[in-house]
Amino acid sequence: MRRPLLHSKTNTQLSSRTESRTKVEYTGLALEKRLRQKRSLNYVNGFTQLDAGTVTCNHTEIDELIQKIKNEFSDLQPYHYPIGIIAKCYLGDDFIVHTLDTRLEIVKHYKKGEALPSEMDRGKSLALHPSYEFIEVYSDTLRAVSSNGNVAIIKR
Amino acid sequence: MGERVIRTADLRNMESYLNNLGNSVNIVAGQIENVGADLNNTKNTLDQLINEFHQFVRSDQLQKNVQLAETRLVKVRQELETEYGHYGDVRRRVNGILQAVDTSLIKKETIENASEDQMLAAPRYWLAPCLIALSAWINDNKELAEKAMNEAIRRDNEKTALFFALVTRRGARYKASRKWLENYFGLQDPHQLEREIVVLIDGFTNGIFGPDARIKCGKKVESWIEELSQKVGFVEEQREQWKVALESKSKKVDEELYPYLREFGKNWGEIEQSLEGVKLHKIIADYFQDVFAKEVTPVKSIAVAVDALLDTLVSRFDDEELPLRRDERLLSLVIQENGDQERAEKLFEEEKVIENQISFTQLLTNFSIHPEVSNASIATQKFSISLSKDWIKSAHEDLTAENRANVPIDINLSIDQWEGVTQDGTNEEELIVSINNHVEKRRNAALSKVKLGVQHWAGLIGGILFTLTGFGVPFLFILAGFCYLYFYLGRRNLRSRKAHISSEFDQLSKYCTENLRASIAEVVDYRRDYKENDANAQLVTEFLDGISPEQYTFSSFDSARSVQ
Repeated sequence: MRRPLLHSKTNTQLSSRTESRTKVEYTGLALEKRLRQKRSLNYVNGFTQLDAGTVTCNHTEIDELIQKIKNEFSDLQPYHYPIGIIAKCYLGDDFIVHTLDTRLEIVKHYKKGEALPSEMDRGKSLALHPSYEFIEVYSDTLRAVSSNGNVAIIKR
Repeated sequence: MGERVIRTADLRNMESYLNNLGNSVNIVAGQIENVGADLNNTKNTLDQLINEFHQFVRSDQLQKNVQLAETRLVKVRQELETEYGHYGDVRRRVNGILQAVDTSLIKKETIENASEDQMLAAPRYWLAPCLIALSAWINDNKELAEKAMNEAIRRDNEKTALFFALVTRRGARYKASRKWLENYFGLQDPHQLEREIVVLIDGFTNGIFGPDARIKCGKKVESWIEELSQKVGFVEEQREQWKVALESKSKKVDEELYPYLREFGKNWGEIEQSLEGVKLHKIIADYFQDVFAKEVTPVKSIAVAVDALLDTLVSRFDDEELPLRRDERLLSLVIQENGDQERAEKLFEEEKVIENQISFTQLLTNFSIHPEVSNASIATQKFSISLSKDWIKSAHEDLTAENRANVPIDINLSIDQWEGVTQDGTNEEELIVSINNHVEKRRNAALSKVKLGVQHWAGLIGGILFTLTGFGVPFLFILAGFCYLYFYLGRRNLRSRKAHISSEFDQLSKYCTENLRASIAEVVDYRRDYKENDANAQLVTEFLDGISPEQYTFSSFDSARSVQ
């Protein structure tokens, strides 16, 4: 087809509005693109070190994890952060996964057969898969993060 | 006033009637229970019959759809032949003239006359004036050649440019060929390309064009992708496009596999879906490996190669024929899918290959996945796959994660009113105990319902009474004998009914245990099958990592591939 001289079409679906010097209001596909970006190794390793401690996590450790999320998504608004993170748990045979609730700032280790909160439960089987280090849980999607930081998206 | 004497009423008869009534009600209640059980059995049989009926109606409908599609396909092809058959003459003459000039066997006048006839026979057709221009060029009639060329450009600018780019390349007129190609490129918008662009890409990947044009073509393809990538959401769109394309390769699970889970697995739908998804890895990896294993054999000469492209250009991409070509494709898909109209329409939608205008990347997807329908050569297919490999990898990673997330953790089993859950079959013994307990409970419930009726107990009481009174009236001993006999027969019948029920439940227990063991064995197979196939996801990624677009284009027509 002949190329039009002037592109009159504008993309109304997407918008990005700079709110401050660092935070950007991502929406739609722009947000999807941002959240698909490869995760940093510092961030990935942060969640794999959770098992190094004991079943009870002290608040300093949780603060460090929350800070890692803030650093990783420094250009995003807090409401775009994952609502939780699920990862395999190596604390012992009894435990299978642990979760970080980013809103309540709680780390919890779950035993086999123990039910996860409903919004986290859908990521449980994926978290147990050896190909992924952990699963970021969002209200509408799951993002599976591999050890190299690659992200795969599972929509509801 | 006379004294009124009220005598005590004799209610024995009434009590006896009430007792009889009570007995009758009990008997009726027992009969209702039996009727209820019969009704349940009838309902099950009816459900089975309804299922079979629905299956029959479905298979009949599919068969009729196939027959109808076959009839319509013949009609559509006839219509194509009647409506556009004369275009075939023009197409054949183009090839004929080019080859006649090669061999110098035909007089120039003959070529001229033959071309003019075609102009009259095929009004509106862009190729007819091209034919005139070609013959005028051969006869050194510049004025006529220009006139005819202008008419051809008016009728279809893009196809004419591409046609002459190829014809001039065939005649080793590099400068003219380059100009026609430049003209063609100038008309293209990567967001909305015409379908015949495949001819150009085919020419490029097969090394038809000269070095200048090849470099230009390569740069143009790069710039198109760069331009398209500027659009926000472009990569996301490609990923979705590729997800659909990859999913179109999925196959149904063999109907003979997992018969017990199909019958007794309550969430068989989820199991089946996860199996279809996980087996896709191998299908995709094999597909790509097959494509790249195919050798691209260079044809003998540039003339043969250009003729093949010209043939594709003039015979496959005429918009007038498009509605009929679409019908033809859809009907072929209905036949291919054994009459499943819905699936055929879904596939047709997914192919998106018979569209007027198409984006460059959708075109690459079509070349990669539907080469036969999009008329792409093996070289083009390889080039397209390697050019799209990042999007393919990304789409495949998403599909893989989606499939893994949807694998059912619990397998719910339901066997003859018993329900149980297993994850990997390790709780087999526990489930067998559970199903046996269930059958035992049902057996006890059924046996508890089998007991002597009131009439039998009445017979026994009657027998005792007659025996006691028989010493005064010996005849009553005979009646007592009948009463005892009635009670005895009732008891004997009761034992045989209990034995029969018990044996039925023994069979049920055996049936349930066998089916449970078989279902659990299939759960173990399913988990193993899934794990084995899931590991194949890596094959796709590894394969795609090892290819690059530069490997799959010819450096020039006369030499072999630049890097293999």
